[in-house]
Order: sequence, then structure tokens, then C-alpha cells
Amino acid sequence: MEEKVICGLDGVGIYGIISICIFVAFFAGMLLWAFTKKPNYLDKMGRLPLDSGEKDPADHHHPDAL
Amino acid sequence: MNTNIETFKYDNRIVRAFAIATVVWGIVGMLVGLLAAAELFFPGANLNFQFITFGRIRPLHTNAVIFAFVGNGMFMGIYYSLQRLCKARMFSDFLSWFNFWGWQLIIVGAAVTLPLGFTTSKEYAELEWPIKVALAIVWLAFAVNLFGTIVKRREKHMYVAIWFYIATAVTVTVLHVTNSMTMPAGWFKSYSMYAGVQDALVQWWYGHNAVAFFLTTPYLGLMYYFLPKAANRPVYSYRLSIIHFWALVFLYIWAGPHHLLYSALPDWAQSLGMVFSLMLIAPSWGGMLNGLLTLRGAWDKVRQDPVLKFMVAAVTAYGMATLEGPLLAVKTVNSLSHYTDWTIAHVHTGALGWNGFLTFSMLYYLIPRLYKTQLWSTKLANYHFWIAMLGMIFYVVPIYVAGITEGLMWKQFNPDGFLQYPNFLETIVHVVPMFELRAIGGTLYIAGVFLMAYNLYRTAQAGQFEPDTEAQAAALEKTAPVRGRPSFHRLLEGKPLFFTVLAVVAILVGGLVEVIPMYLIKSNVPTIASVKPYSPLEVLGRDLYIREGCLGCHSQMIRPFRSETERYGDYSKAGEYVYDHPFLWGSERKGPDLARVGGKYPDAWHFNHMDDPRSTSPGSIMPQYSWLLTQRLDRDALPARLAALRRVGVPYPADYENGPAQKDLDTQAAKIVANLKQGSINTAPDREIVALIAYLQRLGTDIKGAPVATAAQ
Repeated sequence: MEEKVICGLDGVGIYGIISICIFVAFFAGMLLWAFTKKPNYLDKMGRLPLDSGEKDPADHHHPDAL
Repeated sequence: MNTNIETFKYDNRIVRAFAIATVVWGIVGMLVGLLAAAELFFPGANLNFQFITFGRIRPLHTNAVIFAFVGNGMFMGIYYSLQRLCKARMFSDFLSWFNFWGWQLIIVGAAVTLPLGFTTSKEYAELEWPIKVALAIVWLAFAVNLFGTIVKRREKHMYVAIWFYIATAVTVTVLHVTNSMTMPAGWFKSYSMYAGVQDALVQWWYGHNAVAFFLTTPYLGLMYYFLPKAANRPVYSYRLSIIHFWALVFLYIWAGPHHLLYSALPDWAQSLGMVFSLMLIAPSWGGMLNGLLTLRGAWDKVRQDPVLKFMVAAVTAYGMATLEGPLLAVKTVNSLSHYTDWTIAHVHTGALGWNGFLTFSMLYYLIPRLYKTQLWSTKLANYHFWIAMLGMIFYVVPIYVAGITEGLMWKQFNPDGFLQYPNFLETIVHVVPMFELRAIGGTLYIAGVFLMAYNLYRTAQAGQFEPDTEAQAAALEKTAPVRGRPSFHRLLEGKPLFFTVLAVVAILVGGLVEVIPMYLIKSNVPTIASVKPYSPLEVLGRDLYIREGCLGCHSQMIRPFRSETERYGDYSKAGEYVYDHPFLWGSERKGPDLARVGGKYPDAWHFNHMDDPRSTSPGSIMPQYSWLLTQRLDRDALPARLAALRRVGVPYPADYENGPAQKDLDTQAAKIVANLKQGSINTAPDREIVALIAYLQRLGTDIKGAPVATAAQ
């Protein structure tokens, strides 16, 4: 039933091809982007939450910080 | 080098307000859940009070824990972390408080309207249209505040947590608006613009992504902030977090149709949902491992620090739930699990484990810091951890057992080829002890929350609240005009708007690829000539079915399995639902499917069953609906409702509601009253029960006995 419904739509075949192209292009681009990042940039970004800019970091008051 | 150091203040008041709301609504939402759980083994637990029947408080429970508990927890974490990651106070204090009070008002609105029966019936989107409009406005305020803060930030780079917050803000907007397209028929009544199959697809595209972008992406952002903070070390792999983010937002949006496997939804959409669900394992586990590996070399801390303990358990639960979810999306597994309590167990692994534990860890992290003190009792927090852990296990294990048992019993045939358990009731009575055990687990979990509330209260009392935290950072240099073209990365991180557009594209691709063909099919849905719109009395009866939340326990979708067609009749077809605004397929069976219940029992049976379900079905766990026998039907609402239905495409003749409709209603009601009289039952034709019987007796009758075209013709 479904095949008939879908195949009855004009140009529906292109839908699957477009989908797979978008999919492959997206992941290829994303992986390429992620793996060309410089290590020092990644290191810097990873440490970003650790500096909150607080003048008197509240962690002084926390046992973990001791 | 910029030496222009600025001093500014982080707003802690708003964080505290959301923290208090998180704890308060968490307790309320979980207690409502406990009541709902109790009603499943003790049907009289509502004390014959119509406003707290299972059907009405189930949505209250889900809305309360999702939007009130997790929602407030999400805002709490975002308002704290965003300021520190951006090195800037929130963009607007007014918007912060508008967000806070608006959100609380919406929750109160939900707590009042859902028990009153004002519901759209669409899961996690039950709130009626005026509240939905309010929700959109408040969410918009949050989004403006979020983007405003990002724009005025002093930190050049946007940390990955902020990416998750942005994805949350934009995607929830898209989902909420698309799924909320309804036609009002009065102040607290509306009909979905979509019907049947289309409505189901949009709803579960929304429902699944409510889990993805309300319960998951914001909490992943919070994990990427609070886990490194609590462990005092950077995230294991920032590169992995980038991949985690993009893969997750891109893949998640496609997976919605896995909620509709083996339904009347076209097969290609089902397969798409299943395949993308399986692919989701990769980014989900990438994220989980990234979280856990952040603790490398710090596992000794986990032994002592309840914050880290809760975080580790939360991230592990995230990993378990996101492995189980894709497995449940495999069609063969789903054929067993769907409609059973297995889904409930799965959801609670995520809700209690992932969202609950991460929220607790944030609260234990934040309150001592906001009050400049130490946690009042680490020991008590550790007790909380173990009680919550035990509670979760006692909750989910019995429900897993119940779910798998239900699924197997529904499908079991005897050697002669007949259903082993032809009476649905047998299967549900069998698992009632599991429902009792589940309630014990839930009670333990809530007890832990009370311990936490007390511990945090004592912590707050011992310390002194710091309304604003002073901070310093260099002002962000205005980027000098770059010669040539800026790099892609610079564009992406430097321009939140560009980043947002990309994120929106990533989430829209999946949605559009799935939803557009479904719209194109609209003119091609295999229509069935004998399927006609509901009569006026049936429309009002259907509205009662929605009001009482019957679909919380009864599905209206017979899957194409022999075990289902033997039990309920012919499998359901897309063409049968073309006038169903909204669709009422349901997602749970605590009672039998009702898609073909019409004509199965006499009217008098339904009357007696509603008055006392155990009089007709001994051992039933359905509550009594005696008020339906006495309350007058609101027939004044009929014209507005028929007009609204016509506007969304139901072909009622012009002006039908202003004359013939009332007459038709009277004729049908009189017929049912006469039928009841034959069963020695005297009732007035203007009672609600008459309309409900009319609707139930209509279900599935349109195609009974008639040859059905199953293909487009």
C-alpha cells in the first residue's frame, strides 16, 4: 500500500537521494571540521568552564576545593 | 592585548528561585505520580473523585515532572552556567524574572486545568491553547535572554554547553509551534489542525523530540558544564563533545516515528524512524563516555562527593536509556514492547536516573555555593543517593517484568491456535503485584527527595546567601575587520546567529524529510468510502473520552499481528482516521484496545461498566465513572465544536450546527435511552453517559462488514 502511495507522488524518488546526500555531506563535513581543530584550541576550550571569572571563587568554601 | 578589565555581577537570585521551584515542583510531580501508581492497583484511590482519576492525573504527572521539575532544573542550571561561561550577567533581569514567574504560572495553570479535564489529549502537549500561547511567550522571553547574554558575552568562544542551550531554545520553539496548531472551539477546547495519521506523525515527532530537546540536550549542556566543574578537570575530549553535539541534534529529530511502529503510519516513515534511532546509539554513547572519562584519575573523589556520585549515576543512566531506546525502536522488539509497561520502565530509567540524578547533583553543587557554605550533611546526601538508587531499581525492575509479561501474554497462543489469554483482564490482573512493588520504589525515591530538601534547607540556614557574585573579565575586543574571508570556524563561533541558523538547518532536515511527504500524501491517503464524520452526539462523547483521558489506558490502533486481530478484530487502516481531530491512538494498554469496540457490547453493558467496572469485569483496575451517569451533557458547546471541526476539514454541511445538528443529537440520544430501557436502565437523554455510549458504539463500525479498499483508488 505505502509503496503505491509514495510511488504515486511525482518525483518522490529524488527524496531518498537528497536525504542520503545531505546525510553523508553533513557527517563528512562535521568530522572533517572536528578533526582539523588544533590541539591547543581544544585544550583551551575544554578548560573554559573552570574559569568563572569570579573574584572570590565560591569553591574556597567547598570541601572539594580544599 | 586587551587590558580593559571590567567588573560585573552574576545574578544568583534567579538561580536560587529556580532551585526552590525545582525542589517544590519535583515533590509535587512525584507525589502525583505516586497517586497515579496507587490507582493502578487500588482503583478506588481517587475516592470516586473525578478530578484525580488516573486518566486525568497521568498527564498532570508527566507535565509536572517534565516541565515543572526538569524544566525548572534546566533553567536553574542554565542561568547559573550561562552567566559564567559568557562572563556576563544575564541580558535582562526583567526577562529572567518574567521567565521565572511566567513558567510558574503556566505550571499552576496546568495543575488546575488538567484535573478539570481541559486537555488536547496529545501526550506532553496536553495543555489547552491559551496556556500554550502563554508557554510560547515565556519561552520566547527565555530565548531572547539567552541570545542577549550570548551577544553581550566577554568570552570570545562559545563553550559546547552553550551550543546545547541554543539547540534547546530553537528546537523547542519549532516543535511547540508545529504541534500546537489547533482550532479553538471555546476558551479551553480546541481540535488539532491535523487528523489521524498526520496528527500522529506530528505528535510523535514532537513527543520524541520533547524527550530529545527538553530532557536531553539542555541536560547534556549542563553535564558538560557541571561535571568538569565538580571534578575540577576539563572534559575528557572537547573534540568528542563537538561530534556529540552535531551528530545528536542532526539524528535525534528523525527518530519520532519509532513511537508508531506497526501502526497505520506508512512503512517507509516507520523504517526511517527505526534506522535513525539505531544510529543515535553512537552520539549518545560518545557523550556518556565523554562524561565518564572526564573523571579519569578522579574516581577517588566519586567515593566521597555526593555531587559526583549523582553525576556518575546520571550519566550511566543516560547511557543505559539511550542504548535501550534504540533497541526498543527495532520493529521486532517494539512488537513486543509497545503498549506495555516496558516503555514506562524505559522512560523512568531516563527520568529518575538521568534527569533526576543530574538535577540532584546540580542542587547539591549549587546551594552550598550560593550560600557560601558547605553542605550541611554529606552523610545525609549519601543516604539520599542510595535511597534514590534503590528506589529507582525497585521502580524499574518490577515494571520491566510487568511489561515483558504483558507483551508475552497478549501474544500467547495455545496449541489449538487460540489465544491463551483471550480475556485482556487476565493479563493485567497478573501484573498488578508488580504495580504494587513499583509504588514502593517510587515511595523510596520520593523519600530521598525529602531528605535532600531538608539537607538543602539546613545548608541554606547555615550559610549566607550571596545575591550577586562579583566577577572580573576583559571586555571582548571588537573584532577588527578581517582581511579576506573569515574562516568557517571563526564565523561559527563568533556569530551566534550563524551558529543558530546552522543548528536549525540540522534539526529541520529530518523533520521536513519526514513530515513533507506525509502532507503530500494527504490527498492520497487511502480513503474508505464508508468512513463518515462523527454524529453530533458522538462528537460530544468523543470530547468526554478526551476529557477523562481514556487514551491513557486504551489504545485505538490495532496492529497487524494475528494476536491483535484475533483479540480485537481487523487491523487498523489509515483511512479510518481521516476525521479524527486529534488522533486517539494512545500509547499504553492498561485496558483493551477500543478501535473496534462499537457493537461488541449492548448499551446497557457500557452503562453498568462505567457505573462500576467491576460489576461487568471482575478484577478490573478501571476507576468508577459514576459522575457520567448524573452530569448533564454540555450541548450548548456543540455549535462551536462542529464549526471548529468543519474549519479543520471535517465535511459537515454548511450551517449544520445551527439546527439539524441538535435534532440529530436528540434522535440518537433517544435511541440509546430506549436501548438502555430494554436493559432495565432508566436514564435521561441529556446525561453525559449517553454521549459516551454513542461514541464507543460508533468505534470501528464504519468498516465492519463492508469490503475495505486498502490502497489508493
